[in-house]
Amino acid sequence: MIENSQSKPNMMRPTAPTSNHISLVTTPRKILCGVLAGLAIITIYSLATLDNANLNISDAFKSLGTNLNAMFLHPTVGQDSWSLLLHALLTSVALAMLTTILGAIIAFFIAVGAARNLAPTWLATTIKSVMAFIRAIPTILWVLIYSAVMGLGASAAVVGLTFHSVAYLVKAYSESIEETSSDTIEALKASGVGFWAIIFQAVLPSIIPALLSWTFIRFEINFANAVAVGAAAGADDIGYYLFMAGNFYFNFHEVGLIVYLLLGVAIILEVVSMHLRSHYLDHN
Amino acid sequence: MLKVIQLDKTYGSNKHSLQSVNFTAQPGEVTAIIGPSGAGKTTILRSINQLIRDDSGQILLDDTDIRQANPAELRKIRHHIGMIFQNYNLISPLTALENVLHGRLGAKSTLAGMFGLYSNEEKQEALELLDEVGLKDYAYQRCDQLSGGQQQRVGIARALMQHPKMILCDEPIASLDPKSTKIVMDILRRLAKEKQLIIMINLHQVDIAMDYTDHIIGINSGMIVFEGATSTVDDQVLQQIYRQADPQAVTANEN
Repeated sequence: MIENSQSKPNMMRPTAPTSNHISLVTTPRKILCGVLAGLAIITIYSLATLDNANLNISDAFKSLGTNLNAMFLHPTVGQDSWSLLLHALLTSVALAMLTTILGAIIAFFIAVGAARNLAPTWLATTIKSVMAFIRAIPTILWVLIYSAVMGLGASAAVVGLTFHSVAYLVKAYSESIEETSSDTIEALKASGVGFWAIIFQAVLPSIIPALLSWTFIRFEINFANAVAVGAAAGADDIGYYLFMAGNFYFNFHEVGLIVYLLLGVAIILEVVSMHLRSHYLDHN
Repeated sequence: MLKVIQLDKTYGSNKHSLQSVNFTAQPGEVTAIIGPSGAGKTTILRSINQLIRDDSGQILLDDTDIRQANPAELRKIRHHIGMIFQNYNLISPLTALENVLHGRLGAKSTLAGMFGLYSNEEKQEALELLDEVGLKDYAYQRCDQLSGGQQQRVGIARALMQHPKMILCDEPIASLDPKSTKIVMDILRRLAKEKQLIIMINLHQVDIAMDYTDHIIGINSGMIVFEGATSTVDDQVLQQIYRQADPQAVTANEN
């Protein structure tokens, strides 16, 4: 008897309709409709029972207009100096860069253990579950947790941001590693090549475009996080001055200026990433 | 000389994929393994360098039993067994030259292997091997820009870079057009003679096996049903090798 000649078990095949009445409504579709209906009911209920706290809509919009006008049409430096704000902005960029690079290096080595085509299944599953748990808790919370351990300041921000970056990048990296064909890995294994040589000579060159692109996305996320974290951990970066201007001095002119500065950096990052993509990554 | 004695391999409960497989392959000869799909051709080939672990038997390469080797010894033995594949299995973003140099990675220390540190002599040798398979001008070409036949020749050069005693070829021409097939088979036959290599090839195409090989092993349902010089193979032998072949299984695996 030849192995292939045995018929395959057909448990995966959906059963054909037997009765005369043929329905196109399958169980997944029923579930989908049920979920959508449930969400619609919740939305209608919460809109109907909304507590407006005696808000005067026209007054509210008027003061919103005044505030937006102060923020975005009349931005000024406020009580801080230009050099202070620019220095703080640079601190935020540096914070994002440091945590991304640290996170990327640590994440690569952990990702090797989390890739199913390289590591034993139990190890990959364990690492992936731990990383999913870390990722599920927002970056800000990790920074606050580390602030409690290490005290407020830049070091708590660095450790907290790196921690969450590692968890994020391990997922991205390990999935990229899993996409390298196991055949090419097998080819080198068959010629007696050791584990780390395979990682650095075969796996890494195949996935460098994906790694760079994920790392850059994480850099953008880390910049946004660095701003938020600066306020929370008092890391003396632009987020801290944004927080002080908005919540402490109520200087909306300065808030506007800081928002423009952040926007500028975000645009620069976007342009750099597009440039990188078109010149270095899309040559496959 | 490669000597395989009483090799057995079962998958699952009692399905034999290899049953008492015995054969020998001589240096300087091209040996083909032919047989219907699912007969165990790939299992035999991959057992030889222990990519597939078998249940019992002996695999003697120059009187060393590969099955008894510990992991470190196995790496050393594998370094002297080249392997080429149906899908070439090159690292496609790297250049042809870099891929050929990968043949030396198995002989390197962990650090030198990690950072890909090659001596000038090794680079020189890699270039000469590329020249030998007619691809010297493509040394700096990325492998994904080469044709299938060219990639397979890079694969052969990579195997030669290992200074092999033996080259295992797993369906090396299944994805190639007739012209590339001829080039690749000519190179393999020439190498066997010139370098006194043991070359073992899994083949689907009987006509290619008849034209290019010296020795044929016919296998059916995990058992060897014929072993002998290619010149002694006739229609009756072929019928014996391919008997009972389930036509559906053959077509399903042919692509």
